[in-house]
Amino acid sequence: MKHLPDGYDIRYTVDEDLKALRDWLLQPGMLHWFPMNSGTELEAALLGWIGFCRFQASLTASVEEEPCAIGTLYLMPYKKVAHECLVKLIVAPKWQRCGIGSSVMRNLMHLAKKRFGIEICYLEIVEGNPLEAILQTLGFTLVAKQDMYFKEDGRYFARLVYECILSEQPFLRGQ
Amino acid sequence: MSASEIVIRSSRQHEDEYLKKWLKEPNVLQWFPMIDDREIDDAIAYWLSFIPIGACLTAEWNGMPCGMANLYIPIYKKISHQCLFSIIVGELYRNKGVGAALIEHLEKLAKEKFQIELLHLEVYNGNPAIHLYQRMGYKEYGKQYRFIREGNVYIDKILMQKRLI
Repeated sequence: MKHLPDGYDIRYTVDEDLKALRDWLLQPGMLHWFPMNSGTELEAALLGWIGFCRFQASLTASVEEEPCAIGTLYLMPYKKVAHECLVKLIVAPKWQRCGIGSSVMRNLMHLAKKRFGIEICYLEIVEGNPLEAILQTLGFTLVAKQDMYFKEDGRYFARLVYECILSEQPFLRGQ
Repeated sequence: MSASEIVIRSSRQHEDEYLKKWLKEPNVLQWFPMIDDREIDDAIAYWLSFIPIGACLTAEWNGMPCGMANLYIPIYKKISHQCLFSIIVGELYRNKGVGAALIEHLEKLAKEKFQIELLHLEVYNGNPAIHLYQRMGYKEYGKQYRFIREGNVYIDKILMQKRLI
């Protein structure tokens, strides 16, 4: 496991973290990994994303109290699918490859299981996303690959769906 | 009834009553994520919200609605060339070509009106409609395990798609 930066901490996400989230997404190349474009699409997506902080379903990691990553559980509205949830994760470009993504995911999976009784977490990512390596390390498996799902400047990219059954995770056993 | 006797047209707002009736017919909700009236009303409101843009179709037999299908047109540009769809056929009208006629018209609508290149659907394991989707050219591209939970029973969700272009 990578050594996390000094002053690293994790807390629940608050509404005010929206500004950091917007700043990261608007850095060059970041929106490639998400379905929305900048402008009204981004603003609508930001409101939906940050809204889960009201259920304490989102975590913000920080270094010296400056936000560096956000991971969120998109809780399901219907009872028959409430045992699972979609996860969104973003790490600020300058803090990538420091082990922060992995740390936030582990804490998020723990939160999902303990607080919300979630049994399965899944993520939808654009092919080539560096997050894929983290997911594989954490025990996620690829369950769907949908070619042509994203289209950007005339080029197509696949959507990958990774899921993890939390009860099968060694680091969550007995918790 | 033959496929030539089925009329397909754009859906109308008041048709929520048919959707609700068909969803509440015996053994239907097992193939949908909703479980009670509140969830059904929520899902129907979302479905019908696509009527104003002309993305919902209703099948009629003798002037009576007998099935509906809907394109969930995406709001994001990067994924606006692909679309998820839903379909339901009333209990009395199954195995008569209504589902196939709805999907055929929906594919045409998707391609010509919305420039959709890739159409896809989600279906729960064991749903007999899987055979219809296969016949219509939809291929499985993934599966989400234990997607539905009712008590201690889990059902997988199968993801299928078809290229229109």
